[in-house]
Amino acid sequence: MTRPAPLGFGLGLRPIYYEEIISTHPPVDWFEIISENYMTGGGRPTAMLERVRADYPIVMHGVAMSLASTDPLDVDYLRELKALAERVEPAWVSDHLAWTGVHGISLHDLLPIPYTRESLDHVAERVMRAQDFLGRRLVVENASTYVTFRESEMSEWDFLAELTRRADCQLLLDVNNVVVSGFNHGFDANVFIDAIPVERVVQFHMAGHTDNGTHRIDTHDQPVCEDVFALYERAWRRFGPVSTMIERDDNFPPFDELLSELARLREIAARADAEGKRSEAA
Amino acid sequence: MTLAELQARFQAGVLAGHEDGASILESVKNSRRADRTTLFGVYVNAYRLRFVEFLVADYPALRALLGEEAFQALADAYIDAEPSRKRNARWYTSRLPDFMRGDEAWRGNARAIDLALFERALTDSFDAADAESLRLDALAAFAPDDWPSLVFGFHPSLILLELSAGTTATHTAAVEGAELPEPSAGAEHVAVWRADLDSVYRALEPDEFLALSLALDGHAFGDICQMAAFRDESEASPERIAQLLTGWFEEGLVASAGVRGEKGE
Repeated sequence: MTRPAPLGFGLGLRPIYYEEIISTHPPVDWFEIISENYMTGGGRPTAMLERVRADYPIVMHGVAMSLASTDPLDVDYLRELKALAERVEPAWVSDHLAWTGVHGISLHDLLPIPYTRESLDHVAERVMRAQDFLGRRLVVENASTYVTFRESEMSEWDFLAELTRRADCQLLLDVNNVVVSGFNHGFDANVFIDAIPVERVVQFHMAGHTDNGTHRIDTHDQPVCEDVFALYERAWRRFGPVSTMIERDDNFPPFDELLSELARLREIAARADAEGKRSEAA
Repeated sequence: MTLAELQARFQAGVLAGHEDGASILESVKNSRRADRTTLFGVYVNAYRLRFVEFLVADYPALRALLGEEAFQALADAYIDAEPSRKRNARWYTSRLPDFMRGDEAWRGNARAIDLALFERALTDSFDAADAESLRLDALAAFAPDDWPSLVFGFHPSLILLELSAGTTATHTAAVEGAELPEPSAGAEHVAVWRADLDSVYRALEPDEFLALSLALDGHAFGDICQMAAFRDESEASPERIAQLLTGWFEEGLVASAGVRGEKGE
């Protein structure tokens, strides 16, 4: 399978940074948008996106496809998403291995599933139908989760690997989510990374989280922590150059701080690449 | 347990607003560090916090008017009564004013309801669909005989409101953190729309509110003059309506014009 060319090091496009991005043209390789924020009509969100899009590649990341829900797929939502993708021409479109609600209700959260054969059949079929509708391959992200279900029959990483094979989809590997879920469920994050098929991963997410002692919560309101940087280095070594971005959704710092975090990711990647070349030469 | 049953139980536990006793806990394991009630509680707590945040973001002035405790009580009542049925979280808060009008605890508080209506209009106007504004000189294309039959299309962000007097002053004071004005009797009329990518508003005189409401409903220019004159003889001359129309064009409110009944109207 051919992976799309890496876009480099990006950031989430958030309204608080619109003016700065447009006026200073910061050294960011690409931006990721939250799709739903631009599925509203028009006005400032659409206008700002058009301006940013003129200068940077864009990736669309959704939170509402509810791929794992047992409700019917929301065709109206998919139609709107497809229309947005036709306007934005993103490098790819992603959403989560999660559900947001059932019985016509949305909890507006990324909810966990049991990793069962039934879930796998269900989600794979829905990913395929969504891909058919959108006319493009979907990129599916591992979500942060806080509960482990007794019903699970396999690990999250085996579920994801098999999902990509069955649905022929790609993966957005959220490195922070692996750390958060690993802590919450007591698995080794390295095992997760090492089990994911290399050829399926097209994007990394990086973010900060909150450590509550007994469990960690994926809050996106903190700088990226050392555990996540360390796992990122392992991921980069395994998956090679993969488009990487930082999600920051609250407690917004000055934009320069995000650029500094991005610079650190570039350094980690460059170091891993250089060491890889040295070991190849040896 | 099937996936559908598990999801139904999980959702019911979150919507119930407390993790204790949720039947989904039978399916949840304790972790090495935390018990299953705590872990499922992450979803329960996040649900309410997130939905309150949606309301806080869209109704800051209402929050200032009511105070923290009453606003939280309103948010709790709304969240309990109206789970989201929208795919996009953007629309969750839209029904708050309607909920207040129908709820026994809030329906008598016209000041709060009208402030909520005004804030909803500002939010809706902000990201309403785009449209090119029509320039006033486009009217030169129409023959004088066509004028009585002219109908107008308006910018999708335009919203007209009839509110308790003092609503916009209360909003201004609230967003500026100033002392809120005392409630006043009577009504005020307001147009809300989007200009330069931000929501803006302007007070309307009663005759302009009437004329713009009629125009927005698709009535032709001649009908508007007649109906306005019928309801308010003193001010609603054709000259006054024409003057108002000019203002609407200058403010970018008009998006299309055509002769009633003709193709492309």
